[in-house]
Amino acid sequence: MTSEQLAATEHRVPRDDASAPRRNELSTRGLDLRYGDRVIVDGLDLVLPGDAITAIVGPNACGKSTLLRGLTRLLAPAGGSVALDGTDIHRMPARALARRMGLLPQQPVTPEAITVEALVRLGRYPHQRLLSPWSTADQAAVDAALARTGTDVLREQPVDQLSGGQRQRAWIALALAQDTDLLLLDEPTTFLDLRHQLDVLDLVAELHAEAGRTVVMVLHDLGQAARYADHLVVLKDGQLAAAGAPADVLDAELVKSVFDVDCRVIPDPESGTPLVIPRHRPAGRRPPV
Amino acid sequence: MTGLLEASAPARAVSARTRVRRRVLLLGACAVAALVALSVVSLTVGQMSMEASVALRALVGLGDQGDVFVVQEFRAPRLAAALIAGAGLGVAGSLLQRLFRNPLASPDVMGITGGASFGSVVLLATGASASFIPLGALGGGLLAALLLGVFAWSSGLTVTRLVLVGLAVQAGLAAAVNLMVVRFPAELAGAALQWTTGSLYGRTWTEVGAAAVAGVVALAAAFVLHRRLAVLDLGDESAGALGIKVSSARLQLLLTAIALASLAAALTGPVAFVALAVPHLVRFVAGPPTAATTALSCLVGAVLLLSSDLVVQHLLPVEGLPVGVVTATLGAPWLLVLMIRQSMPANRSSV
Repeated sequence: MTSEQLAATEHRVPRDDASAPRRNELSTRGLDLRYGDRVIVDGLDLVLPGDAITAIVGPNACGKSTLLRGLTRLLAPAGGSVALDGTDIHRMPARALARRMGLLPQQPVTPEAITVEALVRLGRYPHQRLLSPWSTADQAAVDAALARTGTDVLREQPVDQLSGGQRQRAWIALALAQDTDLLLLDEPTTFLDLRHQLDVLDLVAELHAEAGRTVVMVLHDLGQAARYADHLVVLKDGQLAAAGAPADVLDAELVKSVFDVDCRVIPDPESGTPLVIPRHRPAGRRPPV
Repeated sequence: MTGLLEASAPARAVSARTRVRRRVLLLGACAVAALVALSVVSLTVGQMSMEASVALRALVGLGDQGDVFVVQEFRAPRLAAALIAGAGLGVAGSLLQRLFRNPLASPDVMGITGGASFGSVVLLATGASASFIPLGALGGGLLAALLLGVFAWSSGLTVTRLVLVGLAVQAGLAAAVNLMVVRFPAELAGAALQWTTGSLYGRTWTEVGAAAVAGVVALAAAFVLHRRLAVLDLGDESAGALGIKVSSARLQLLLTAIALASLAAALTGPVAFVALAVPHLVRFVAGPPTAATTALSCLVGAVLLLSSDLVVQHLLPVEGLPVGVVTATLGAPWLLVLMIRQSMPANRSSV
C-alpha cells in the first residue's frame, strides 16, 4: 500500500460525538487509585497534552502501569476523576470511549493459534453493532493497520509463532485498527532487543507525525523517553515528581531524587535531547541494596 | 517452531489455514449429512416401521392417519428433543471450556446438569404441568452454578478445585434426585426416573415443546454473543480497552451456557459425556476455537446424542436402556484420560 492510499484510508471522518471539541487531552484531578487498601496513585493532578507524545517514567512500583489502567478505565478511581477533553471517562459509554482511545497492555494475552489478521480484526469490536456484518470500512481499517505496522506480509501467520518484535507490531496493529485518536502503550519495548525497541519507537513517532495520533506510553529508558517524547511525566511513589518538556525537566537533581542514582545529564550527541549517564560506582561505594 | 519462520513461512501458513478451513467445511458437511440421515432413520424405524417417504409425508400430516399420529406425536418430539439437547450440550461445553480456559469444564462435571435434573424433579413433585419443567431445570442449573461459585470462586477457580467442587455438587444433587425418586409415589417415580440417568423414552410435545423453543433461543444467543467471546480471549485488559464490560460479558456467556445445559437436562435428563467430549472431538479435527468450531460443536453434539439414542433404541439387545447409560459408559474413561493428560506438566497449558 502506498502512503497516499494509507492517508486515504486513515482519513478521519467526524464521529458520533463530534460536537465536543477534540483536543484529545487526558487529565486527572485528585486521582486516587488503589488495589484493596494499598494506595498506588495518591491525589494526582495531571494534564497529558493532546496531539503530542507523552512518556510516563519512574522507578519500579511507582504506579506507572496503574496510572495507565486508571486512564483507560480498567481501574475505577477510589477518589478524584479522569477526564478526556473535559468529560469524565466514567460517564462515557464503554464502546464510545473505546472508539476514542486504544491500549496496548504490558503483557497482552494472545489467543491460541490466532492469525495476525484475525487478531487485528478484533480491534474493530467497538465499531461493530451486535449483529452487523463485517464491513468494507472494517476491512479497510484492518488493511491500513497491517500496512502501517509492516505486518501485512504476516497476516496469515499464527501470532504465537512470531518473534517478539513482530508480535508487538501485530498488537500495535490491533490498537490501530481500533481507529482511535489516543493510543496508550504500557512499556511497549520491555521484552525487545535494542533494534526492535527502536523499530517500535520509530513506529510510534510515525503514528504521531503522519497519522496524527496522540500517544501516551510508559517507558523505562530515560534516554529513549527524552528522545521520543514531547512531554515527560515523572512519577515517584504514586505522586507527580515533575512534568514538562524533557529538556526542561530531566536533570541530575531529578534523577537523584526520583531514582536515587547519581548521574550526569548531557545532550544526546545524536538528537540533542537530555541523556542520563550514571556516575561510576566503584565496588566499595555502592549503596546497600 | 520460530526457526521455521523465514522466507517460506507465508506459503506454509496459508496452506495450513486452507487445510483447517477445508477440514471445518468437510466436517460440517459430514455432520449435516449424518444429521439428515439419522433424522430420517429415527422417524422411520420403530415398532411400526415405515418407508422413509411415508414417514416424511406423515411428518407434514399426509397419508395414513395412524402413521401421522405415530410420527407426529411420538417420533418427532423425541427427535426434536435429541437434536436440541445434543446441540445445546455441544455448545454449552465449548462455551464453558473457553470461558474457564479449562478443558475439563463442562456442565456435567461442574454440576449444572445435576442441578437442572434436581430442579426438574422438584418441579415434578409440586404437581405442576410437565410444560413447566424447563423452568425447574433452569432454576436448578442456576442453583448448582451458585453453589459452585460459592465453594470454588474464593480459590480463584483453579482447575482441580473447580472439578472437585463440581463433581461434589453433581454427586450431591444426583443423590437428592435418587432420594426423591425412591420416596415418590409410584406414578411420579416413573416420570422422575428419567432424571436419574437421562433418556429420551416417552417424550411428547407436552414435555418437549417449551424446552425446545427456549433451547433454540439460547443457541441463537450463544452465536450472537460469540464476538464478545472472541474479544474476551484477549484477556481482561485488552477486552476492557476494546469497550467490553468484562464481568458482565462473561456473565452473559456463562448464563447462556447454563441455560443450554439446563434445557438439555429438561429434555433428556442428565446425559453425560456429550458436552465434555464434543469440543475436544471438534478441536481434534478443526483446530483451536473459532465461531466455526462452535457451530461444529452444535452439529456434532446433535449427531452424537441422536446416534446414541438410535443405538439404545434399535441396536442393543437390552430393551429400554436409557441413552445416558451409553454416553456415561463412553464418558468415564474419556474424563480419566483428560485428567491424566492435565496432570502431566507438558500439557497443562495446552487448551
